[in-house]
Amino acid sequence: MTQRASTRGLLALAVALALMATAGGQAVAQKAGGTPILSEPLAKLDIKPAQIDTARGTPKGTLTVAMHFALDPGWLDPLEHSYVITMQMYDYLVHDAMIKPMNYGYVTYGLAEHAELSADFRRAAFRLRPGLKFHDGQPLTTADVKWTYESFKGAYAKVFHDKLEHIQIADDRTIVFHFKEPFIDFMDLYNGGIGGIGWIVPKHYYEKVGRDGFKAKPIGAGPYKLVSQQAGVQMTFEAFEEYWRRTPATKTIVVKGVRDLTARMAGLQTGELDLAFGMTGKLLSRLMADKSLRWDPNFTGPWWLMFPGGNEQGSPFRDKRVRQAVSLAINRQFLVKQETQGIGKPWGNWISPENRDALQGQDAPVPEFNLEKAKQLMTQAGFPDGFEVDYTPFPPYFDMAERIITDLRAIGIRGKVQSLEGPAFRSKIGQGRKGFPGNRTIVQNIDPRAGGSKANIAVYAVCDSPSSFMCDPQIEALWKKHQASLDLAERERLVKQIQRIVLDEHYFVPIYWNPFVAAVGPRVLPEGEGFHRYWDTLNAPYPWPWEIWEVKADR
Amino acid sequence: MATIPVGADQPIAAPRAARRSFRVIREAPLIPLVILGVLASVAVLAPVLAPHDKLDPVKPTREQCLAKYTTPDCPYIDNVPPFWARGGGFDTPLGTDFLGRDVLSRLMHGARISLIVALTGTLFAGAIGTMLGVLAGYMGRWWDEIIMRITDAWLTLPSLVFAILLSSVRGPGLWNVVLILALVFWSRYSRAVRAEVLTIREREFVKLAEINGIGKLTIIWRHLIPNVMNTVMVLFSLQVGVAVIIEASLSFLGVGVPPPEPSWGLMMAQERESLMEGRWWLEIFPGTCITMLVLSANMLGDWLRVRLDPQLRNR
Amino acid sequence: MRKYILVRALYSVVTLWLLVTIIFGLVRLTGDPVAMKAEAGADAAYVAQLRQNWGLDQPLYWQYLSFVGRLLRADFGHSFEKSLPVRDIYFERLPNSLKLGFAAFLISISFGVPFGMLSALKVNSWWDNTGKMIALFGLSMPGFFVGLVLILVFGIGLGWFPVLGKGSSAFIWDAPWTWVTFWFRDWAHLVMPAFALGWYFSGAMLRITRSGMLDVLGSDYIKLVRLKGVPERMVVARHALKNSMIPVLTFAGLNLLIMVNVAVVIEVIFNWPGVGQLLYDALSNRDFPMVQGVVLMSGLMIVLLNFTIDVLYGYVDPRIRLSR
Repeated sequence: MTQRASTRGLLALAVALALMATAGGQAVAQKAGGTPILSEPLAKLDIKPAQIDTARGTPKGTLTVAMHFALDPGWLDPLEHSYVITMQMYDYLVHDAMIKPMNYGYVTYGLAEHAELSADFRRAAFRLRPGLKFHDGQPLTTADVKWTYESFKGAYAKVFHDKLEHIQIADDRTIVFHFKEPFIDFMDLYNGGIGGIGWIVPKHYYEKVGRDGFKAKPIGAGPYKLVSQQAGVQMTFEAFEEYWRRTPATKTIVVKGVRDLTARMAGLQTGELDLAFGMTGKLLSRLMADKSLRWDPNFTGPWWLMFPGGNEQGSPFRDKRVRQAVSLAINRQFLVKQETQGIGKPWGNWISPENRDALQGQDAPVPEFNLEKAKQLMTQAGFPDGFEVDYTPFPPYFDMAERIITDLRAIGIRGKVQSLEGPAFRSKIGQGRKGFPGNRTIVQNIDPRAGGSKANIAVYAVCDSPSSFMCDPQIEALWKKHQASLDLAERERLVKQIQRIVLDEHYFVPIYWNPFVAAVGPRVLPEGEGFHRYWDTLNAPYPWPWEIWEVKADR
Repeated sequence: MATIPVGADQPIAAPRAARRSFRVIREAPLIPLVILGVLASVAVLAPVLAPHDKLDPVKPTREQCLAKYTTPDCPYIDNVPPFWARGGGFDTPLGTDFLGRDVLSRLMHGARISLIVALTGTLFAGAIGTMLGVLAGYMGRWWDEIIMRITDAWLTLPSLVFAILLSSVRGPGLWNVVLILALVFWSRYSRAVRAEVLTIREREFVKLAEINGIGKLTIIWRHLIPNVMNTVMVLFSLQVGVAVIIEASLSFLGVGVPPPEPSWGLMMAQERESLMEGRWWLEIFPGTCITMLVLSANMLGDWLRVRLDPQLRNR
Repeated sequence: MRKYILVRALYSVVTLWLLVTIIFGLVRLTGDPVAMKAEAGADAAYVAQLRQNWGLDQPLYWQYLSFVGRLLRADFGHSFEKSLPVRDIYFERLPNSLKLGFAAFLISISFGVPFGMLSALKVNSWWDNTGKMIALFGLSMPGFFVGLVLILVFGIGLGWFPVLGKGSSAFIWDAPWTWVTFWFRDWAHLVMPAFALGWYFSGAMLRITRSGMLDVLGSDYIKLVRLKGVPERMVVARHALKNSMIPVLTFAGLNLLIMVNVAVVIEVIFNWPGVGQLLYDALSNRDFPMVQGVVLMSGLMIVLLNFTIDVLYGYVDPRIRLSR
């Protein structure tokens, strides 16, 4: 595979670039670079060009961000990229990816300026844009891309390594991945919004300082450099002014771990914090009432209930009527009013509507609230007096858990809230059935993972996934067909069918689409309502990219 | 040496100590005793006394629903203020919480849980600590060394370790808190008890019993334990206060009593946001209960210490 | 005297070794740290690799021996969670806890000791009861409540003090000038957390001072001094005060260490980066090396303090030295 670069093509490109450069200071949408790499029929890719701003301004001001949990230095290392979407906050700060979601498109060119996928899904090619540098000034080349792929140990690593045949480096900027078999999901998984393998790590630096050294002082190609960290408490980042896309608007970003909601609220009101997450619950009305603070609803994913062990003998949730009764007993409208001041949207699916192929609207109507019917179903199923359950909510939404438990008391289901810490909850979900002893358990979960609805189904609805609590033969058959199929339309149809079964059988009980309310202080620019644009990136619980954030320069 | 005709197995000192303790109680300060008595009776009688259910929201009237939500039907009215404020009423005299549950009923049932936890936890701790302290003080060199070294090591363990350990092994629950209190606090008793035993064992009646060939266990049971009771009672009353606060702190960290069961500590921990919102009563009412309990227990303990300590009694 | 010191040193070592063993067992009872890394959709092979990396696939006695062996070289291992050496993380946080602890300690002494003395001198009077009441209030309110009230009144309401963190000053082991400046800078951040923590212990300080003073005032020595006709003020200032300070300081020292090591609730409320939060995070993540490190360090501090106190007592009071 050689580049067939014609002299005339190059000349045309040079003239075009010269014209664009003289236009000066405007955000230039770079054309997805021209010359093809593969010489075969290609699959259609919808990747938007990067918006590059050649006007080099000066970064100003400090943005102080509060996360609602202790910070994890491990998140600075993309090679060990977890499934936890929070990690991408650091990805967007310190690192850069070949292709990634941005505020102007779900899949956009990042480090790569051109990508191709063969029609048989067995070859994927990328061309890096020229002049890319890491924070230490070393150039970013295809050697780093290759090394990152081969050294990757994080989420989906098995799939990537199993399917890879070999990696071909055509030159400094061109790389081709050869797969053993059709890898239809490759572009999806390589997308920086889904996983870590597309976030390029500097080979020379990582090999020099080792894993621990890298976590202590990481280097990447992203818009910000890590200048200091106190493990678990605070990380301070400074703008990398030679970032290829644009000069970051804010000079310093400080990320703090503030696990206590009242502390975050207090920090916002005293001006010590400019941005804080997870502000739903009892303090939302205080947030709304404070004129100096603004907030963005920031919808992430829907809440839903799962029943570990619900398909086993002896579990009351084995009976579809009981599961349906649970769904009928939850007063979603009232819940949304109380817990989210009416911002949340009662929802009929457990997969976020921002995900491809997710059932929504008419296809997944909001379940009704009908206590009488619920009680009837419970009696028919043989539980007129109800039973006791353990209720494990996604932390730290314990108030919401208590609300739902109180709703369920009306039909006799008496729950006890298990208040776990974040890591404990995630690990229990990861362990699946083993994490939840007994078969009278209800788990309240939320998972706005990107990658289309199939990603969510693969984790939660398929029998051989450890985190799945269902083994429905119909779903298994459909899923098998899906994995074997290379036809995108057929795949979409199958995915929707699977969702249909899950919802009709009430294997999952959806509740409402969660507003993961984020609050900003007066220092965040632009003043007024313009700040909502920071949340334009699809399927992102946090407002990345960070290089566009502007603050008043008074600190 | 005067010959005192005594039966070999009659405890000489114990009855005197018991009689003295009984007289002491009659002279106890009134206020703490009254408060503790009230709290204890409320705790015992809670299911009868409480006007509403502790877990179910109060059923609202049509008027209330119309007033707040402009619909004639609603599941509950949350955050009703106490009776003296506008919007409050005598149906829920102390108001309702974020789920429309009656605060007064939850406080009453909370008395149960908080008292059970604090008392049983401290009791177990006291029992273990006293036993070990007596053994260490009386049974000889090796016992003393081993028990005291373990006590020293154990004293440095933070209660949080046990809290999370128990929470992950047994799942959260009420008895976890009791176990934590017992496991953490026994070491506070054993030191003091050992010191006490070291002085008592030199006393005449103990020496006499030993000379008469009475077994060590009998001596421990009949002579030593009754005589350390004073110290233990003082420690106990002081530790009850600490136990209540620890339960509140554990609930705050999420490893205490699991919701929705009410305990004062849990109510205080959960309603911190309400305090910030201006609904101060939701946090202050359980806080007042805790303060009253701890203050009374401490005042009683202080008074006991003065009363039972011969040196201080004369002042 | 030397024998006495040696014996007490031996006791300390035994205590420490017992602590090492106990905490080794206890953390392993909290659960499986490798399971903590399992996530929805995680790679089983990668997770299993972690078990090997962390040495958890070895038999228990081997883990124990290697743990003790590393301890003797002052190596606490690598944090499972943060992948950095435990020692580095701990000593980065320790000065923060010490700063908070010292400040709380000072506050608790300034409240507790004078009121305690006053109570003892005017025992059972109005002063006594009021003083006791105020101090006991500190003991009867959970830290998270006091902290929140302070934040609402002084932080948000009056805006006098910042509500989060410790400020930007840091104790950097490589920069000796910070060893001095760290304790005095950013004191505004320190006021509220120190007060919330200190008020709790001032009740205990008051009680100890009071009973210590009462003991001394009732002793024969003081009676003698009074008989000699020394004015009451001198009695108090010159004689009673000095002698009653010994139990007070002993207790105070222990309290300080407790404050340093157990201030989790205050640290969470004020987002103070101390070792309490470190322990809490480590426990939640089943981060064995970190939990072991924090608990052992705090144990070491307490044992050393006890040892020092025992030795000082031995110097001061011959009876102690010569008894068993």
